[in-house]
Amino acid sequence: MEEIELSGFVALISLLVILLPLFSFLLILAGRKGRGANLALITISISFILSVYLFFLIWNKQPIHYQIPWFLIGDIEFKAGVLLNNLSVLMMTLVSGISVLVHIYSRTYMKDDLNIHRYWAYLGLFCFSMLGLVISDNLLLIYLFWELVGFSSFLLIGFWYTKPLASRAAKKAFIMNRIGDIGFLIGIIIIFSQFRTLDIMALFGDIGLVKASLVDKGLWISASRQMPEAWLSIAGLAFFIGAMAKSAQFPLHTWLPDAMEGPTSVSSLIHAATMVAAGVFLIARVYPVFDPFVLNCMVFIGAFTAFMAATIALSQNDIKRILAYSTISQLGFMVMALGIGAYSESIFHLATHAFFKCLLFLGAGSVIHQLHHYRDVHSLDFDNQDIRIMGGLRKGMPITFIGMCLASAALIGLPLSSGYLSKDAILITAFEWAGSRDGIYKMIPYVMVITSWFTVFYISRLVFKVFFSTPKRMSREQANQIQDAPRQMSYVVLILAFFCLFFAFSFNPFSFESSWLWNGFSSNLFQNVKLYHWLLPLILNIGTVVLIFTTYRIYVKNDGISILEKNIFHRFFRQEWYLNELYSYFFTVPIEKFSRLCYWFDRNIIDALVLKSATLVSILSAITHWCDRILVDGFVNALGTCAKWIGYFSRNFQTGKLQHYLISMLLIVLSFFILTYFI
Amino acid sequence: MLSLLIFLPLIAALLILVLPSRFQQHYKYITLGVSVIQFVLSLFIYFKFNSSTFAAGIDKESQYQLLEKLPWIRLNLGNIGKLEIDYFLGIDGLSMPFLILSALVTFVATLASWEIKTKLKAYFSLFLLLNTAVIGVFCALDFFLFYIFYELMLLPLYFLIGIWGGIRREYAAIKFFLYTLFGSVFMLLVIIGLYFSVINPATGNHTFNMILMMDPANYADGSIFSAIADKNLFGISARLLAFIVLFVAFAIKVPIVPLHTWLPDAHVEAPTPISIILAGLLLKVGGYGMIRVCYSIFPDSAMLSAWWIGLIGVISIIYGALNALAQTDLKRLIAYSSVSHMGFVLLGIASSTTEGVSGAMLQMISHGGLSAMLFFLVGMIYERVQDREIANFSGLAEIMPQFTAFVIVAFFASLGLPGFSAFMAEAFTLIGAFTSEQVNGLIPRWMSLVASIGILLSAAYFLWTLQRMFFGQPRLKGAADWFSKLSDVNAREKLALIPLVALALALGIFPSLLFDKMNASVLAFVQLISG
Amino acid sequence: MIPLSHFLMISASLFCIGLYAVLTKKNAIQILIGIEFMINAAVLNFVAFGKFDKVNGGGQLFALFAIVLAAAGVAVALAIILNVYKHFKTIDPSKINKLKD
Repeated sequence: MEEIELSGFVALISLLVILLPLFSFLLILAGRKGRGANLALITISISFILSVYLFFLIWNKQPIHYQIPWFLIGDIEFKAGVLLNNLSVLMMTLVSGISVLVHIYSRTYMKDDLNIHRYWAYLGLFCFSMLGLVISDNLLLIYLFWELVGFSSFLLIGFWYTKPLASRAAKKAFIMNRIGDIGFLIGIIIIFSQFRTLDIMALFGDIGLVKASLVDKGLWISASRQMPEAWLSIAGLAFFIGAMAKSAQFPLHTWLPDAMEGPTSVSSLIHAATMVAAGVFLIARVYPVFDPFVLNCMVFIGAFTAFMAATIALSQNDIKRILAYSTISQLGFMVMALGIGAYSESIFHLATHAFFKCLLFLGAGSVIHQLHHYRDVHSLDFDNQDIRIMGGLRKGMPITFIGMCLASAALIGLPLSSGYLSKDAILITAFEWAGSRDGIYKMIPYVMVITSWFTVFYISRLVFKVFFSTPKRMSREQANQIQDAPRQMSYVVLILAFFCLFFAFSFNPFSFESSWLWNGFSSNLFQNVKLYHWLLPLILNIGTVVLIFTTYRIYVKNDGISILEKNIFHRFFRQEWYLNELYSYFFTVPIEKFSRLCYWFDRNIIDALVLKSATLVSILSAITHWCDRILVDGFVNALGTCAKWIGYFSRNFQTGKLQHYLISMLLIVLSFFILTYFI
Repeated sequence: MLSLLIFLPLIAALLILVLPSRFQQHYKYITLGVSVIQFVLSLFIYFKFNSSTFAAGIDKESQYQLLEKLPWIRLNLGNIGKLEIDYFLGIDGLSMPFLILSALVTFVATLASWEIKTKLKAYFSLFLLLNTAVIGVFCALDFFLFYIFYELMLLPLYFLIGIWGGIRREYAAIKFFLYTLFGSVFMLLVIIGLYFSVINPATGNHTFNMILMMDPANYADGSIFSAIADKNLFGISARLLAFIVLFVAFAIKVPIVPLHTWLPDAHVEAPTPISIILAGLLLKVGGYGMIRVCYSIFPDSAMLSAWWIGLIGVISIIYGALNALAQTDLKRLIAYSSVSHMGFVLLGIASSTTEGVSGAMLQMISHGGLSAMLFFLVGMIYERVQDREIANFSGLAEIMPQFTAFVIVAFFASLGLPGFSAFMAEAFTLIGAFTSEQVNGLIPRWMSLVASIGILLSAAYFLWTLQRMFFGQPRLKGAADWFSKLSDVNAREKLALIPLVALALALGIFPSLLFDKMNASVLAFVQLISG
Repeated sequence: MIPLSHFLMISASLFCIGLYAVLTKKNAIQILIGIEFMINAAVLNFVAFGKFDKVNGGGQLFALFAIVLAAAGVAVALAIILNVYKHFKTIDPSKINKLKD
């Protein structure tokens, strides 16, 4: 009894957590133009406080599952409800926490925008859907919020919709996500058709239906239904495609860099910290459905994405694009980790990544904001996102500088940072995983190591270029005039910087096993190879230090840039592996052409057939008409004409002349006479 | 009750005909009043509706609600027997939702009729006549009566398109009329065939009663459509042939590819309110007819042709979406999107599973509201500047922010954003189609997967339009003149749009509003057709 | 004794001449003369056949009667012709084809 009351109470609170941002969305939209900052901040703060409360209530305790009937279809009842376990409360706190920070940051960052009320409203909608996503207890609800997240991301990317690039990016993001959504939907369909329910607890719990189902003689058998084995893999792949689109995995990643057309604060919240993590979250939620084949796909795609995105990040010049590709790369790490079964490592990295990537974006936002301000004040003309023209901002923007440095350290995985814990955890597990396999699987961890060195290179390039090197369009003195961003923004940067350090996650800076977060999830499946646990970080960090030094030489001292930038690889990476062109060539343009062809077909074949049949009918009718006139009517007319001629003929007898009558009379009498007497 | 619902507009139409022309500015208020009363009545029916298993309807006359049965034509035909045609109305869970939809769509269409400026008397009386016919179709249970209402819909539509339509209105009106008539004429043959096959066990006469037609036991021995005799006609089973004929008749209304070409022309040329009624109600008559008539009377033939029907559904979905992608005229785009969305209805019905049929029903109701909304929105632009070429507009979001908000809602709802009704409908249709192979083996699984591509394509064409027309810098073909003409949404238009948004949202979030009411009927229906 | 056939031949020729006149002549008077010829042919027959009569003198009597009637008829006919002439300024019967006025 008490249990039920507790779960009801918790459900109510979590409902409040998600509904508050929704109210803010509705109220702000209904309200006056340019308002809403306070309302948005207050609602999301309350949400955050409640989330923290729930976090302490639930973390490492019995999960709470509360549901109410939703609707009935056939004999199956759908229920809506909340499922709060470690994963959901962690995500909930993370999302609402970062949202609060981004809200505070945006108050200054977006201050001058005329349509700011829309911004606050959309943020509210986003928070609502993201929080809803993490606490939903059935796949249909998750899907609902999943697409709403995509929708709010669409609105926010296209916030400056008058910019053609922004509106195009928004469209692209939504459509690419839609591909994933369809994957997700197909997954749901398969699961539902196999198990007759979409409840996560019932499906994926420890004693869930998915675990209870078995594959036997090419059939996938559940309690009630069965279908060919291939569908299990298809279901897994379908869910994975859903996650791929949301978490920007190759080949569905190209929307994320373009999404940087939105406000930087949005990029930070949605496209770095929270929404893109939804894919990882989804994989974690439906984990039992993946069979080894799909898991291997995950490993390869994750590793490849991480590698590819890192190479692209090496060559980009737009500060936000570098960070975007860095995000893709890190998400690749997480997906790869999920693929090898390192569930807890992946979630751990998700959490640390959320903080440091958010910080990197907000730092970049500060830089962009201040440069923009400076440009307007001095009426200069330069691209305020291009790192080639930046430089020497260290002196003027110390807070941003420190924040960015810490975040970069975490991204690189330097000791004492949070990234060191989580990223090395993933790498170590990857080595342990590869230890029990052979062939191409052995390659994976080495690729990841190289990727993480690439990471070192591109992020130190960014930091050095922005904060150390000589500015290109202004003197050092001028650069020094550029001040740190206003106070609210800087505070946010500092708070986030705190979370980039190890003690937010673990008391022991060198061991991820002692992290509370890591321990919150199911523990390691692999044989613990001690060797990796100290050797790997050592090698990694030696490489890192060497690389940082090299980067410093190249970008601050200007040695050997030309070698790096004048080769075919650089161009290939610079053009983002020509994927956008490839997609446009192979998909967008052909589909467009095909649709025109279809329309042509519709007009000129199908409709023409209809019209031709109409013409045929009219020709037929012309023939009938002819028949009618000539034959049928002709017969009638002929009768008439005949009568007329007889009339004309017999008329001649009526001359009115006496003698004629007499002749006739005589003839008739004579003929009678002849007839009577001679014949 | 149902008679009141049906004949109220007819009375109003007579009233309008009688009223002198100097009151012509008031005709629209009379029409509006009628539609409001209808809406209230239908809501009343909705709330009073008994959704228990014992009121499922479908093939049991006693389980229908609000029955009205009066002997109508009783002619002694000598040795053939007595002609038995009833005035027979009733609703079950599969027809009741359409009553609400009809009332709502009529209400919106009436509000859209404000733009009609000429020959008001004729317009509104025809409009009300159309309304009578549509509601009549949804209520009729006597096949003869059904057919009368079914044909009665065509007449006012022909004039409404042909007189108040666009530039090529006569072409469109004739095309529409002949196309639909083509289907229904053959239907008449089947009706007569059924009449001579079915015997009312109570009176021993032949009958037009649809419910009696659903029971194989009522067929006379050796009659042409008797399932037991299974006679052949032109080399194929007579029942299959009859099913195909009826299916084609309704499929033209739905419409399916390749019988859809009347639809883009009719929609584009029709005035806004008529487009709304066409898309919102007329297409649904096709779907409703399939469920009520084709499937219920000829379940055996339906099972045989399920694969083909499913295939046609999938083709309609993809083909319609691709065509929509190629359009440059906004209204035509929406017309083709209707083809695509109605494909889901076909797919759901073909699957013959509870999920599929419920999904198809929900899709019809949802699409009724959403297409009405889309056509209303297009009509608003057209009314203001007499143009709807996508390329002639850009950056409308800056000029008409509220309008754009409604467009975004309508577009996203149509492309199946969860939280709106279309999503639930499409998701369950696909689930039903997918499950079908396991449950009854009618439709292969791949159809469901291919159909889901349609959802992707619908996102593509709607978002592309959104980007081209509404986002970007404001730039209009008609320059300053258009800027002044393109005023934002006014109160009347809001009044029309908000109920539609509410419907889409309500059904999207609480599909139980509809599912609960029709669940028993859907189950009975599936039970009936799968034997 | 003159045989009967001679009478009859003469009378037939008379009749034919009269008939010819009636049918072909363009003058009403000539037609009238033709009629008289025909009547007289008949009268001749009366007289010729009178020899075979059971009652004596019957044929002669009838002949006289016919002659009287013919005279009266001629008088009337001439009167009509006169009137016709007055009215139509012609006595050609083929031109007189209007019964009214």
